[in-house]
Amino acid sequence: MKIDLNPMLKPKSVAIVGASRNPDKVGNVILKNYIDAGYSGKLYPINPNADSVLGLKAYKSVLDVEGRIDVAVIAVPAEIVPKVLTECGKAKVKSAVVVSGGFAEVGEIALQEEIVRIARKYHMPMLGPNCLGVMDTRSRTDTLFLPTYKISRPQVGYVSFMSQSGAVGSTVLDVIAGEGFGLSKFISYGNAADLDEVDLLKYLMNDSETKVIVMYIEGIKRGKEFVELARKVTKKKPVIVLKAGRTSAGSIAAHSHTAALAGDYAVQEAIFKQFGFSVAEDLSELVYFAKIFASETEPRGNRIAVVTNGGGAGVLTADAIASSRHMKLAQFSARTRRLLGSKMPKLVNIANPLDLAGDAGDKRYEDAITAISEDENTDMIAIIVLFQTPGADSTVSAGIVHLKETVDKPIVVMSTGVGYTQAQKVQLESGGVPVYDSPASLVSSLEALLEYADFLKRQA
Amino acid sequence: MALMEYMHAKRLLDRYAIHSIPSKYVFDAEDAVAFAGGKSIAMKLISGKALHKSKAGLVKLNLNSKEDIERAYADLRERGRSIKQYKIIAQKMAEPGVESIIGGNTDAQFGKMLLIGLGGIYVETFGDTQLRLCPITKNDAIDMINNLRSKDILTSGGKSLDMLAGLLMKTSRLLVGNPKIRELDLNPVILRDSSYDVVDIRVLL
Repeated sequence: MKIDLNPMLKPKSVAIVGASRNPDKVGNVILKNYIDAGYSGKLYPINPNADSVLGLKAYKSVLDVEGRIDVAVIAVPAEIVPKVLTECGKAKVKSAVVVSGGFAEVGEIALQEEIVRIARKYHMPMLGPNCLGVMDTRSRTDTLFLPTYKISRPQVGYVSFMSQSGAVGSTVLDVIAGEGFGLSKFISYGNAADLDEVDLLKYLMNDSETKVIVMYIEGIKRGKEFVELARKVTKKKPVIVLKAGRTSAGSIAAHSHTAALAGDYAVQEAIFKQFGFSVAEDLSELVYFAKIFASETEPRGNRIAVVTNGGGAGVLTADAIASSRHMKLAQFSARTRRLLGSKMPKLVNIANPLDLAGDAGDKRYEDAITAISEDENTDMIAIIVLFQTPGADSTVSAGIVHLKETVDKPIVVMSTGVGYTQAQKVQLESGGVPVYDSPASLVSSLEALLEYADFLKRQA
Repeated sequence: MALMEYMHAKRLLDRYAIHSIPSKYVFDAEDAVAFAGGKSIAMKLISGKALHKSKAGLVKLNLNSKEDIERAYADLRERGRSIKQYKIIAQKMAEPGVESIIGGNTDAQFGKMLLIGLGGIYVETFGDTQLRLCPITKNDAIDMINNLRSKDILTSGGKSLDMLAGLLMKTSRLLVGNPKIRELDLNPVILRDSSYDVVDIRVLL
């Protein structure tokens, strides 16, 4: 059956069941966040003990609401959820987000099964229970019960993130808010009692506002369906995955070498790689990879040119390239070397990494990058800018953003530091140039980009 | 889980054109000497209970003379007394090469998985393995090999890449075509420049 999640993510009307007048209660925070986010649809606080909540007319039950309800966000104690869901069903509510905990995660399996039965009886897709719910930066849907002063909300973008864990989800969301690439949708699906990873991945695969899918998962419930979907999704858009449970594998005594080596984690990682998912090692890498894919550049090969204003940082980046699996330092052509020789001052040694020296300003960066961008032996350009040096300032950042528009090779920046450097990072990233703070994160991200490009080539 | 008879498993491999080393059950030392025909052989004690034969001293290699064979047979029979059901198998010795493992497993969620790794019995030590869901494509097979750190060792510097990729695809077909197989170890598979031998087979049903 085709599941329509648009009422949940693009609702024209939202009922918040358990919208308390007490600002410490989850239901109150959710309602307040909808108001703060500037949500423009209808809001219906449901509270049997109040006439109004946060200035909005309150209803005793969803059954009392006259207009249609696209999504009910349910934040009431677990034992009341079946009653609330049944009322939602009777009121023809189109979808439900059950934020409440107290189900399978604490052993209340029967209660969880009961709410699944109710949701399915009324053909009402249900997210959760025990989840943060959904966020959509375009429709300004935001069911997260985390106050906006504690967690920043990302700007509008094309990366969508689905997370089984709410805590991991909100942490990554906070980090993404500090990055330039933005967010399309966030879906925290908790216990995955009704809607699970297969449903959500399928929705994001077909969602035109999603160009990059990021997922944090702990388990896959429907293996066969997941594989069928995995075969299709990466042909349409990149998927970055972080799978928990690396260390829990293989506790059952295996009968053969192969079975011992093919534990749950190993199998799932193998399947992700087989179908072209980019497997992140940790939460940082999840965000690093999202950033490079969001920049929407396509590498033609594995040869990297390094331009730097610090010799040491250049050597460290060359080391990271040399110790990677697939990446190589580019060997500039004779023509490029001649061109660089004519443009660079004498103190610059024409080699890769190309050390522009500490006094390099925007002009020297621009000349070097322009010459290298035409080099037939270079596939990607890594630009190191140490903003602590005398020559580097915002004109360098502006120059790189400008060059990114005209150069058809991936351009990434490596820049380490706080304060001034952070401000430059924002400038570069809002211009579409991914910025990394270490050679290792830069190289592993370029490698993920290349592996995906190679995967697509092999499928063709 | 039940262990498939060795010779039955060998015939199964034959049907998929997977080459395993010539083998024969032997019931006394003369049998083994006749099988050797003056060449070097190996003998193994096979039982559903003894899983890691080489660790348990149940494999005798490089038996060149009649005396070697007789002594090895007597020793294996002695060891076999404590294991109720066992058989002794004689095999031609494989030409030297690089030891690898090719295997299959059934994942409860996803189905048949195919594995390749460096190292035969040392595969866990090296940890250099690749795993894929069956059925695999030629691209998958090549990708599995290319993702091994030991790919140059296993393919003689790339010369036997096609042969090894073909062997992986045949093994994938075998796994998919025989859903009752729960686990499969072809271990070791001796790889050489443009030839190979499957030296030991374990099929668990």
